[in-house]
Amino acid sequence: MYSRIGLDSPDNPPIQLDRTKVRGEFGLRVDELSGQQLYACYQCGNCSSGCPLAQEMDILPSRIMRLAQLGQKEEIIQSKTIWICASCFQCTVRCPKGIDIQAVIDTLRQIALEEGVDHFGPDQIDCKHAAEVPQPGLVGVYRKLST
Amino acid sequence: MAKVAYYPGCALKERSSHLDRSARDATAKLGFELDELEAWTCCGAVPPVSKERIMNLIAPSRILKDVRDSDRKMLVTICDFCYNTLKRTNYSIRTDEIIRKRVNDFLADNAPVRIYLEEDKTPWLEYEGEVKVLHLMEYLRDELGYAKITEKLKRSLKGLKIAPYYGCVMLRPQNEIQLDDPENPTIMEDFVRALEAEPVKYPYRNECCGSYLSVSNPDASTRLCHRILSSAIKNEADAIVVSCPLCFYNLDSRQKAVLDAYPDFKTVPVFYFTQLLSLALGNDVNRQGFEKHYIDVSPALEKIGNSGEGDKT
Repeated sequence: MYSRIGLDSPDNPPIQLDRTKVRGEFGLRVDELSGQQLYACYQCGNCSSGCPLAQEMDILPSRIMRLAQLGQKEEIIQSKTIWICASCFQCTVRCPKGIDIQAVIDTLRQIALEEGVDHFGPDQIDCKHAAEVPQPGLVGVYRKLST
Repeated sequence: MAKVAYYPGCALKERSSHLDRSARDATAKLGFELDELEAWTCCGAVPPVSKERIMNLIAPSRILKDVRDSDRKMLVTICDFCYNTLKRTNYSIRTDEIIRKRVNDFLADNAPVRIYLEEDKTPWLEYEGEVKVLHLMEYLRDELGYAKITEKLKRSLKGLKIAPYYGCVMLRPQNEIQLDDPENPTIMEDFVRALEAEPVKYPYRNECCGSYLSVSNPDASTRLCHRILSSAIKNEADAIVVSCPLCFYNLDSRQKAVLDAYPDFKTVPVFYFTQLLSLALGNDVNRQGFEKHYIDVSPALEKIGNSGEGDKT
């Protein structure tokens, strides 16, 4: 079922690179907000191989890092990946370059939320479920996935 | 009895009250009292990612400052989310001058608003991260010593095979948390050994259970929990031990969803570490709040043998 997940060639046409995007405002903003350096990533793929949720994602974490380096904001904020990340810090712990990848993903979420749409709003929760889940889950989900 | 400042957090006050109660019972037997802070708020559950967003640091900073202002050096907490948030906030304040300045400016500015609680005559003193934030398990290991627990055992858990589950935020990010090795931790295994039970090693003990995805994407969480639980079962665990309310919820209640998705799955009981500690120190089985568990814990209790005994305090 998951044989080529995240590795299939995209349905969309190949991304277009141009000078205004690569090393553009978007990448600088991500660097500034997250306190990390996107260009430190050399695409070893350790984050993707250790990510417990990689199989649920449409774009693997290492590819998100590459897209961010190349300033591909639209691709990123439309991906499922940034909303599936559970902030477990496995990637952060394993990155050989010491990049806090979780912080980068969190930053990308923040930037996507600034575009105005909550990914998960109060109307989307199942009331019965909400009455049972411990509070850190409820507080966590709204802090991470909505403005 | 020695008192240790204690921050329970919101989950322990209601939905995970059995974690709070068993912790208080157990620590009383060990000779110290968890002294709940007089006034506290939610810590925010997740620390902010960016230095820009300092509002998310205010609640945990205020809690920490209150502890410092009441002349206490240590704060013990149990919930992994609270632990992570308080400890990382403390780390940021201690190591980052800009954050320290901004947080303190805000707290000072905001102080008059809180006068309705009790007028504070003490001179304003900047909070610089002086308080030491400890997980209860860390306190037991470093301050009390696991050997002390073994000395006071009333009911040995010999013969019980227990799979420790660490989850994510208790260990990571390790440069800020510094509790144990994030890839090969031993703090819970050592704890299980102190109770004379046998720790089970299995590969998924520090993999994420889905955390808050349990709310936004329950199916993904079900798949993760199935992977963790079946790995523990495959390695012959009689029970799983956790410390986090959300891990507990995911691994215990979610077994219903796991059963629906994987019909040949066999269930396994889940305990809080404080419940096992409280039982081992001789507290009554009926005080552990086992009625709040979705999975019946009696198969594991039967393995201990004298499950109904213990003094009725």
